[in-house]
Amino acid sequence: MKENIITINHLMKKFGDNEVLKDINFSVRKGDITSIIGASGSGKSTLLRCVNLLENPTGGEIFYKGENILSKKDESGYRTKVGMVFQNFNLFENMNVLKNCTIGQEKVLKVSKEEAENKAKFYLEKVGMLPYINAKPKQLSGGQKQRVAIVRALAMEPEVLLFDEPTSALDPQMVGEVLSVIKALAEEGFTMIIVTHEMQFAKDISNHVVFMHKGIILEEGTSDEIFVSPKCNETKEFLSRFISC
Amino acid sequence: MSLPQDFFGRIIFIIQNYGESLLKGAGTTLLIALVGTIIGCLIGFVVGIIQTIPVRKKDNLAKRIILKVLKLIMNIYVEVFRGTPMMVQAMFIYYGSAVLFEINMDMWFAAYFIVSINTGAYMAETVRGGILSVSDGQTEGAKAIGMNHFQTMLYVILPQAIRNIMPQIGNNLIINIKDTCVLSVIGTVELFFATKSVAGTYYTFFEAYTITMVMYLCMTVFFSKLLRVFESKLNGPEDYSLATTDTLAYTSGLLKYPSKKGVD
Ligand SMILES: Nc1ncnc2c1ncn2[C@@H]1O[C@H](COP(=O)(O)OP(=O)(O)O)[C@@H](O)[C@H]1O
Ligand SMILES: [Mg+2]
Repeated sequence: MKENIITINHLMKKFGDNEVLKDINFSVRKGDITSIIGASGSGKSTLLRCVNLLENPTGGEIFYKGENILSKKDESGYRTKVGMVFQNFNLFENMNVLKNCTIGQEKVLKVSKEEAENKAKFYLEKVGMLPYINAKPKQLSGGQKQRVAIVRALAMEPEVLLFDEPTSALDPQMVGEVLSVIKALAEEGFTMIIVTHEMQFAKDISNHVVFMHKGIILEEGTSDEIFVSPKCNETKEFLSRFISC
Repeated sequence: MSLPQDFFGRIIFIIQNYGESLLKGAGTTLLIALVGTIIGCLIGFVVGIIQTIPVRKKDNLAKRIILKVLKLIMNIYVEVFRGTPMMVQAMFIYYGSAVLFEINMDMWFAAYFIVSINTGAYMAETVRGGILSVSDGQTEGAKAIGMNHFQTMLYVILPQAIRNIMPQIGNNLIINIKDTCVLSVIGTVELFFATKSVAGTYYTFFEAYTITMVMYLCMTVFFSKLLRVFESKLNGPEDYSLATTDTLAYTSGLLKYPSKKGVD
């Protein structure tokens, strides 16, 4: 039995009167690839953002390696351990590709510039973006931006990576290049939580699937349990929409 | 000295006899405008940044109270100096301080002070707008790699905000070049003041002010062009060069970065 790296207990989040997350409980073990699926507005992004403390939960607890991160002061140190890749990339517009991937190492981890650049280049090469180190984000395609964003997160040497619909803002022909990078990470046993609408992809790479519905986890289990033999009607209905088209 | 009868003759006469004092006036105008704009920008940045510090429930009480009070004071400052004419401010500060506090403020100090404090009030709003114009995604991207508020501001938000507000900084400089003329009410001998004395001496209003109009225009056009050049410098190159021609992706071994020492 592997250790739990992230444990979420009774997590709640309200925006005003809008109860977006209601009593969320689940845990992620080291090496797990957890996919979170569910309809738009079901609270998937909010959940992921709470895990990275981009949103302050209104209730509940989040443990990272046994430590309650909601009562901790050091948000910054925690975030370097739990990286995040966004739907809209959020690359720094004022920096070129290389700087995007070194600034966090240099300023947050206090790594030397040379070391930071070496590491950034190593990862950039892996995702095929090494030739573009001098380009600014606005000079890149969506798929290229997302690959750089993944490197920016990886360069911090996080223990867990969170992906919030990493391919939803991409043209169809660019989805593959990003998914193949995530797949490569998965094959190497990287711990990840992925919110995605790419059902085939989720089915193939996850060992843990969470189905969210109106702010609660309606069903969770292995990839087969959810995709092959879902129990809840809502899950079946949700999945049938993807198979039909 | 006899005054020539024709327009161009008079222009040349004024330039020959008073050119130096007009140039000195123009120099003073420029100096006050430049210094005032620079100090004003600094004030604007400090005020604008403080106004955009988020107050969170998590922060301790003392920090929240201090921030609240600071923000209130700064709001009042911005409203007062944006909401009253600079000429009135000049009179109020220079003569008012003499009467009220028996401070004999140095006229030069007062001149720089008034332009700076006035520009600061405008720039505070500009900087605040510039910071807000940078998308939330940029802040989230920075936070997600562990940057704190200060680092996020310094490395990500402010560089983009500054780029976005460059046109307004330029605008402020142009306005200051023109508006330093109101300082003539406290006796600052800048270009307008110098022109008034020249024009008054020989009743050559048309000619003297023609020269002065041209001088103001030269200064403002020069600086607006200079700022354009600076802006395009800030934008960086339009294109980029590929660092190598090898675009093959090796997506295996992604995590095998050998820690310490480079891999070349
Ligand atoms: N910052 C916010 N303020 C108010 N409501 C929000 C905010 N963010 C998300 N919501 C609401 O929370 C609900 C869930 O949103 P989200 O987590 O983005 O869902 P999903 O990612 O599953 O599509 C939506 O109804 C949305 O309107
Ligand atoms: Mg979402």
